[in-house]
Amino acid sequence: MIHDIIAIIQDYWLLLLIGQYPNGPLGGLANTLILSALSIALAFPVSIMLALARLSKWRLLRWPVTALVYITRGVPLLMLILWSYFLVPLWTGADVPSFVTMLTTLVVYQGAFLSEVVRAGIVALGSGQMDAARALGHSSLGAMRFIILPQALYNMIPSIISTFVSTIKDTTLGYVINVPDLTFAASQVNNQLLTQPFQVFFILAVVYYAICWSLTHVANIVERRITRRRAGLSGGAAPVELVPAKIISEQL
Amino acid sequence: MSTPAAEIQQVQTIRLSDVCKSYGDYAVLKNIEAEVARGEVVVICGPSGSGKSTLIRTINRLEEINSGSITLDGQNIHAAMRTRELNLLRSRIGFVFQNFNLFPHLSVVENVSMSPIRVKGVAADVAHDKALKLLDRVGLADKARAYPGQLSGGQQQRVAIARALAMEPPVMLFDEPTSALDPEMVGEVLAVMKSLASEGMTMICVTHEMGFARDVADRIWFIDAGQILETAPPEEFFKSPRHPRAQRFLADLRH
Ligand SMILES: Nc1ncnc2c1ncn2[C@@H]1O[C@H](COP(=O)(O)OP(=O)(O)OP(=O)(O)O)[C@@H](O)[C@H]1O
Ligand SMILES: [Mg+2]
Repeated sequence: MIHDIIAIIQDYWLLLLIGQYPNGPLGGLANTLILSALSIALAFPVSIMLALARLSKWRLLRWPVTALVYITRGVPLLMLILWSYFLVPLWTGADVPSFVTMLTTLVVYQGAFLSEVVRAGIVALGSGQMDAARALGHSSLGAMRFIILPQALYNMIPSIISTFVSTIKDTTLGYVINVPDLTFAASQVNNQLLTQPFQVFFILAVVYYAICWSLTHVANIVERRITRRRAGLSGGAAPVELVPAKIISEQL
Repeated sequence: MSTPAAEIQQVQTIRLSDVCKSYGDYAVLKNIEAEVARGEVVVICGPSGSGKSTLIRTINRLEEINSGSITLDGQNIHAAMRTRELNLLRSRIGFVFQNFNLFPHLSVVENVSMSPIRVKGVAADVAHDKALKLLDRVGLADKARAYPGQLSGGQQQRVAIARALAMEPPVMLFDEPTSALDPEMVGEVLAVMKSLASEGMTMICVTHEMGFARDVADRIWFIDAGQILETAPPEEFFKSPRHPRAQRFLADLRH
């Protein structure tokens, strides 16, 4: 069993790492990491803009965005992926690479989920902080940027990270539209070996677990560092008890 | 005909004319008429729910009004205006909240210096030095690098006063600044407010601290059910309140 796994890694590590590259498109773990990183990097600012739009006093901004968020959250991700994969080329006539389709869909989908987290963080702050900012003459955007968001995002770090983790796991769904990622590479390996599906997909599981765990771990360190700074590092040991961030990695 | 100088003297006031505000059908402020002269200290008192907070919050437009006008130095605060203009106007009216509302993610000195930097465009080092001076003035120079969460309530409220003063407002509003404090911390905050008053700051304070009102106020406004029922100098108000509801309010307080 262990031998099989080691043998698979020895034979196929390059395929699992970079896919068919340089003879074909970049794939494997490299592509999974790129897709995850881009999705997260784009979904995060998108989610903040969606959250601000949903809290806006202008109905023309608030209503369409609210509708978008509700619809996106109420539809399975796989459905969205298939829709964009089949419908976008049909409508536009453009030949969109599956990687781009997957990235866009993930950004919209996770952006919608994350926007609810961000919005909850802002609402949970209460009106006192905004009142104080406004009384000092800050514009609403300035208050958001320097006073409200730094607190709201910090308070929501655990939920934000759990959405990031979901995003990484959701990249596996790119498999159905032939995005050449790690899952795709693993299934290629499986198709060649035919007899060792458990071993192949065990490797896959371990790699995804390691990626998600690292992200969670780094986030915990960052959060603890901010908490300690706010509690005043000068005293040496942190006087405020550090609540460990609970990461719930299911979909909300 | 008054001279231009006398005219400026006259307009350096807050004027509320026929101010009405309601939440739905419920009228919170009813035809408020009042005036605050420059350098004057006004204490607003009245029973809970009478509209004190609402009134003071309308003065820097944290609450909108339904009709009437409120002017500062002749400028209508509730007129239609660009948000930039409103923000500038607001920055000239300091506001101190019952719950301090310090920014917990910023250190004490950052709390005080950030608004001059971000709103007025003051250079960071200048704002920082000014913030340290203000903190010294409220007796908290040694807490500059602390975070709000590490301070007592009284210390937080003194930082909040320094934060408001950093914008150099000609007027300061206080909404029950000592109500959320433990009794032993009330004095330190009142002392800061007293020193402000003695330096000629125009102040409007909602407070239940009748000792402070007696010592510092130039006038008391007694408000009940959304109306200013009596305005009088403190000696007069405490010795012989005219309105029956003011008499009952004072009797309840002494109780
Ligand atoms: N956002 C709101 N919506 C509806 N009613 C409100 C709102 N804010 C205040 N009120 C009502 O307006 C009235 C006046 O409230 P306000 O907070 O001004 O009273 P107050 O004199 O400051 O009382 P307290 O001494 O308890 O602080 C109260 O009856 C209150 O219930
Ligand atoms: Mg009140």
